Amino acid sequence: MTASRTAGLERLTLGFIPLLDAALPIIAREGGFFAAEGLDVALSRENAWSTLRDKLAAGLLDGAHMLAPLPLAMSLGVSGAACETLAPLVLGRNGNTLVLSPHWSEGMPSPNADVPPGDAPDPGVSARDFARRLRHRGGPPPCLAMVHPFSCQHYQLREWLALGGIDADHEVKRVVLPPPRMAEALEEGRIDGFCVGEPWGSLAQHRGGGRIVASGAQLWPDHPEKVLGVTAAWAERHPATLAALIRALTGAAEWLGASPEHARQARDWLALPPYLDRAVNHLETLAPGTGPAQQRLGGDLRPCPEAMPPMAAHLDQALRAQGGRLDPARLSACYSPVHFDAATHQKRA
Amino acid sequence: MPQPLKILLVDDEIVRAAMVEEALGQEGHEVVCRLQSPASLNEMVARHAPDVVIIDMESPDRDTLDSMSLLNRENPRPVVFFADQHEPDTMQAALEAGVSAYVVDGLVPSRVKAILEVAIARFASFQSMRTELDKARGQLADRKRIERAKGLLMKHQDCDEEQAYRMLRKLAMDRGQRIGEVAANVIDILERLEKGL
Repeated sequence: MTASRTAGLERLTLGFIPLLDAALPIIAREGGFFAAEGLDVALSRENAWSTLRDKLAAGLLDGAHMLAPLPLAMSLGVSGAACETLAPLVLGRNGNTLVLSPHWSEGMPSPNADVPPGDAPDPGVSARDFARRLRHRGGPPPCLAMVHPFSCQHYQLREWLALGGIDADHEVKRVVLPPPRMAEALEEGRIDGFCVGEPWGSLAQHRGGGRIVASGAQLWPDHPEKVLGVTAAWAERHPATLAALIRALTGAAEWLGASPEHARQARDWLALPPYLDRAVNHLETLAPGTGPAQQRLGGDLRPCPEAMPPMAAHLDQALRAQGGRLDPARLSACYSPVHFDAATHQKRA
Repeated sequence: MPQPLKILLVDDEIVRAAMVEEALGQEGHEVVCRLQSPASLNEMVARHAPDVVIIDMESPDRDTLDSMSLLNRENPRPVVFFADQHEPDTMQAALEAGVSAYVVDGLVPSRVKAILEVAIARFASFQSMRTELDKARGQLADRKRIERAKGLLMKHQDCDEEQAYRMLRKLAMDRGQRIGEVAANVIDILERLEKGL
């Protein structure tokens, strides 16, 4: 792109973690939706959620692709230094899978077929099966990985274990690993299973290193999984930029959903080296709701505090363990649709 | 003389890690382990029980450390992210240099700050070393480009080397660009011409 074409555009940097639900910012950049809103957006691939979080709080990033619970955890000061953070848009729903090593998953039911979540096997069956094996085998507790303590992956892992009557705090060992390292750690036997966002779950299964035994979509159907995160201070200083960002991402989502051809094109953009690179080689398209993860990357992007109770209950539990509790007003402020509504009701300039 | 602190260093850059280790040693601290891509950070922390972990901000292992105090309740030495609210300048400097620190709960902030400052200084000087190196590499690439552009100009404009160089210099001045950039443009245009594109 030449200097004259970027002249007059507002420069921004958004952080992302290599996951399929980083698709909307990538589409908005590659498809020109940011430029159409007057934005020149650089996408910065980050290696860790905590680094992305700290860079956002310090103003080194203008916004970021974020785990849905993270803006609230930041606002409450339970993850990193306290920083009031907002989630003005939902970037994706579903997409998490629970994967176990062949040793632990042999013969377990799996939601593999492209069937609606309602017809998939009950995740409780695989959880109870896992509990039986765990108690029968004895030995050291199995080690299960997830991506961050304040993530739907952590909470969904806990709920799946609870379906089998397993105490997540004592009967298994939990560790945190970055998504791109999950499959490798499983193949090398350093962990026995994990809960992770796409494409890393289907990739592990594709490579034969593990088996999907449950999905986040089965546990919390269509729950917001990733959001756009911005600090409250940034949103206050740059209201017009935030509105442009929201409209560009909404435009990208509409484009993605408009035709199967677009979903294939989006997959090709994600396969570019700065984004997900070879991690999407086993996928043909980003068409919504396909595969065991039932991921939805477009559709309804409007945030809504009333949609957050499954996640909020876990955060509240974590706070109570420290003697606090979740204030519903904080939850409402964090996931308020006010910025989304203002941006999408404005006429495009 | 205060007790030396045990420091675990997590950094893929071997040269930078050695620089930080040496500097911290001179301050009287003990670097118990220098890790490149640790197979299990959890085990290393349990085995060495460091007081402070200095980690490259860009390391994929940061989330593992970040979550340790939340997940391992039975771990006798939980580590917490060092973010001293009273020292926003130090935190900003650490972020910009790409250093983050995790410390055991209850350690005196001023001691952590001193260690962090040593690490920040080494990370920053390593960064400027690398910038210098990149610049030197860029200059070498520029020289090659200028030679190629001169050759193409001599052929297409039927001029001598001196004239070709003056042409490049004038273009650079007119456009306010570096001569290396102009050379790259000239190569692009003339090679397209040659290929008949």
